[in-house]
Amino acid sequence: MTAPKLQLVDLKKEFSDGSVAAVDGIDLTVAGGETVALLGPSGCGKSTTLNMIVGLEAPSSGDILIDGRSVIDIPAGRRDVGLVFQDYAVFTSMSVRENLAFGLKVRRVKKPAIVRAVGEVAELLGLTGILDASARDLGGSELQRVAIGRTLVTRPSILLLDEPLSNLEAAARLAMRKELRRLQKEIGLTIIYVTHDQIEALSLADRIAVMNAGKIKQVEKASLICQQPDNLFVAGFMGSPPMNLLRGKLVRNGAGLAFAKDGFSFDLPSGTTPGEGHERLPAVLGVRPEDIRLASTGEGLMAARVVLVEPRGSDAVLTVESGPQTMKVIVPSLGRPEEGAEVGLSIDPSSLVLFSGESDRRLPLFAEDMS
Amino acid sequence: MPARPLTPIMAILLVVALVVTLFPVFWIVMTAIKPPTDWNAAPAIWVPANPTLVNFRTLFDPNAIREYGVGGVSQSATASVFGSILASVVSTFFSILIGLFAAIGLSRYAGGSKVTPLIILSGRMFPPAAIAVPFVIIFSATNIIDTYGGLIAIYVAATLPFSTWMLKSFVDDLPREIEEAEMIDGRSRLMAHVTVTVPLVRGGLFATALFIFILNWSEFMFALVLSYGRISTIPVQLAKYVTATAGTLYGVQAALAVLAMIPLVLAGFAIQSHLARGMTFGAIKR
Amino acid sequence: MNLHANQDGLRARVVNASMTAAPASPVPTKPSATVKRARPPALRYLVLPGQIVSVAVLVVPLLVALYMSFTDWTPTRGSLFNASFIGLDNYSDLLIYDSRFVEAVVRTILISVVCLALEFTIGLGLAVLFLREFRGKAVFFSALLTPMMILPVVVGYTFWMLFQSNGPLNQIIALFVGGAATPEWFRSAPLAVVTVIVTEVWHWTPLFFLILLSGLNAVPENPVRAAIILGASPRQVFWRVILPMLKPVIVVAFVIRAMEVIKLFDEVFMLTRGGPGSSTETISLYIYKLAFNDFQLAYGAAAAFIVLIGTLVLINLMLLPIREQLLKERR
Repeated sequence: MTAPKLQLVDLKKEFSDGSVAAVDGIDLTVAGGETVALLGPSGCGKSTTLNMIVGLEAPSSGDILIDGRSVIDIPAGRRDVGLVFQDYAVFTSMSVRENLAFGLKVRRVKKPAIVRAVGEVAELLGLTGILDASARDLGGSELQRVAIGRTLVTRPSILLLDEPLSNLEAAARLAMRKELRRLQKEIGLTIIYVTHDQIEALSLADRIAVMNAGKIKQVEKASLICQQPDNLFVAGFMGSPPMNLLRGKLVRNGAGLAFAKDGFSFDLPSGTTPGEGHERLPAVLGVRPEDIRLASTGEGLMAARVVLVEPRGSDAVLTVESGPQTMKVIVPSLGRPEEGAEVGLSIDPSSLVLFSGESDRRLPLFAEDMS
Repeated sequence: MPARPLTPIMAILLVVALVVTLFPVFWIVMTAIKPPTDWNAAPAIWVPANPTLVNFRTLFDPNAIREYGVGGVSQSATASVFGSILASVVSTFFSILIGLFAAIGLSRYAGGSKVTPLIILSGRMFPPAAIAVPFVIIFSATNIIDTYGGLIAIYVAATLPFSTWMLKSFVDDLPREIEEAEMIDGRSRLMAHVTVTVPLVRGGLFATALFIFILNWSEFMFALVLSYGRISTIPVQLAKYVTATAGTLYGVQAALAVLAMIPLVLAGFAIQSHLARGMTFGAIKR
Repeated sequence: MNLHANQDGLRARVVNASMTAAPASPVPTKPSATVKRARPPALRYLVLPGQIVSVAVLVVPLLVALYMSFTDWTPTRGSLFNASFIGLDNYSDLLIYDSRFVEAVVRTILISVVCLALEFTIGLGLAVLFLREFRGKAVFFSALLTPMMILPVVVGYTFWMLFQSNGPLNQIIALFVGGAATPEWFRSAPLAVVTVIVTEVWHWTPLFFLILLSGLNAVPENPVRAAIILGASPRQVFWRVILPMLKPVIVVAFVIRAMEVIKLFDEVFMLTRGGPGSSTETISLYIYKLAFNDFQLAYGAAAAFIVLIGTLVLINLMLLPIREQLLKERR
């Protein structure tokens, strides 16, 4: 079995004054050719992790393995890892060509090889026309392509990007997404990038590692992470708007269990075994805004009043109040209710997610969930 | 990236640089406190066995100087010290005053033409020895030669481009909105500037003033050429002590040199953070 | 009928527009909006005193000197206006026949070049040193800046003392080559030039140090990091990435010092008075001699203007490397 491309083993980065660790023990395995996004709010440690992978910062403890070999003692220029900065950091005193050639020039590669490599990368990124332009004269997306090209010329096997799409306008973002996907396919690069923007994560990554406060909260395929959040943090972070989270308790209700909150009670589907669960377990019920429908009749009907309507083009986000409970609901724009309207909410029980109020972890709701 | 510490070689080089930098100053200070018997020792004495302040007193005592008097140098330095203080302080004051308003005018109202920096720079390229000539002529004709007034006028004019340009760079750093707010409240524009702009640039004002003071205090050529006995400044006096006595007045000369240095070194330290801006006429800000 | 309706409608629209238009003053909704208003010319007078002083005390004498340079005036001829106009004769005499002038120019340029090269190299070395961390850095920094704060006259005097035949410098040299072989600095032409160079370099290296250190501290971190990630060694990073980014700073430092070192007067006056002979005579000293020893005032004025033009040309040449950047900033 071949070693994974990149492995982070209990990686930690502590500050010298002993305060909160920037990175507090993370484990991550990335396969070759994968694109993984490190997603999380500011200060969650994602950029520090990136710096440690490339070698700009040394970890306090833990290990980093590339192709099965520890690279902790290998300096930044020799790890076969490339990094594209958020501000691109292109060498402004040089031309595009010189920027691209830099990595090879400093390794004293012979000129013909440099010319060839630069030509290939320029072709790959559409920079052939501006090879002789001064870096000072370039616009945002051109600068980014130069920054990426500069790294690719040295043929790293892992490419790291710091917030790759954040400085680009919408059209350029789309183009860059396509570009990165294409690069990945054509060269077989392993790409790891850092972002605070969910859309950026969801649109580009194969897998997403959600981080908070120096820890990885969940690593999951991009297509599944919204549907299957593992813990409360991920549930409340992913999605726009994120999942509605109702804090309450599990209580016995006849033969089965019910979720109870402030006098509001919701029978959990029969056959539900909460796994860890017992009666009066503090629990959090998760309902996605898109899984709540407006209805006049039906199961689990709740009365609610619309307090805010935020149109979003083809759909709209309603903020509704049902008793003391506030939730967000996504409805189609056509025929949406006005503010102040009284509506009925219908929730499909199979879309519910349950979390333990103590451990924040997801509780299997149905027998099949237990793994 | 955190900065790395010095290597041993670097540390040695640094110490060498420090020694080379401070040795001349050390020498002059030592010479200033040498008793007259040590002055002409060969080889020269590094640290006097009996340091004394008598040289400083001699400087201001015409009788004592006369005893050493060689080649007509029998002046005490009193007049020159007084002259330097007068000329430097007054000309700095006016240079700053005029420069400040010019700076505000350029920064807020006239936008500064592209030619202005060029004019200022060209002003600095003209050898002072030559421009001194028309001054001598004009001043003689108008009878203000050998007067402090004439000297001050020249110092003000010579430092005005500096003070204007430096102050302009400080005023430029202030957002216009601050003054606009005052003006909207009903104050006249001028008063708005006086009450708002000026206090806000007082740090830069202070630094510019000290910098101009340093320039004026150090000025030699014009003072040399325009003084005929009634006015004197420290550089001129020092030059007289040196050239006229061919070296017999070491201690006294050094004492005067030390006196001349002290205000500048103090001023220099006070404006250290603004030195980069000053020395490059506002081109580089720290 | 229709017409009236239209007019009423139009009037109504105009009335509405004026009622809802933002008031022309006092409360600005956006500061930039008020700035775009025409600035009252009234306060342009602020620049006036400065301009008057400059014109009166700088421009007028300059014009007098210019006129003078086209005449053959010496004080013995009485008023300036009695002197006869001789056109460019002074200029041509200086450039073609006056070997002492040409020598002074060449000598000044050579001394300037050597001084600038040394000041830059040592200043850069010190600046790089100061990128490291060590205790007492602030004190060292202040101490190293001292030389440039001392009066040129005092600097000249100090080094005159130091270079004396029985002075400390020769005492140190004597430790290596023996007492008899110590040089007589002011007796020999090349040695005298060396004293001038040493003095000037000591005096102004701190300025290069200061400017270069400011520049180095201002270099953005990310390109440096990027270079390291691409495999560059620290030396390569310095020469290929950092130094090119310092180009504008370096050019400014050179231009500023070049302008001043060409006018070198005070220090040389105190050190050698131009001697021995005329071996350390800088341009300024020569002009001073012409004007105030020989009273060749018109001739001296012409020499000064030649220097002015020459310096202007030189400075423009020196600014060429950063011409593009300067133009961009002016916009």
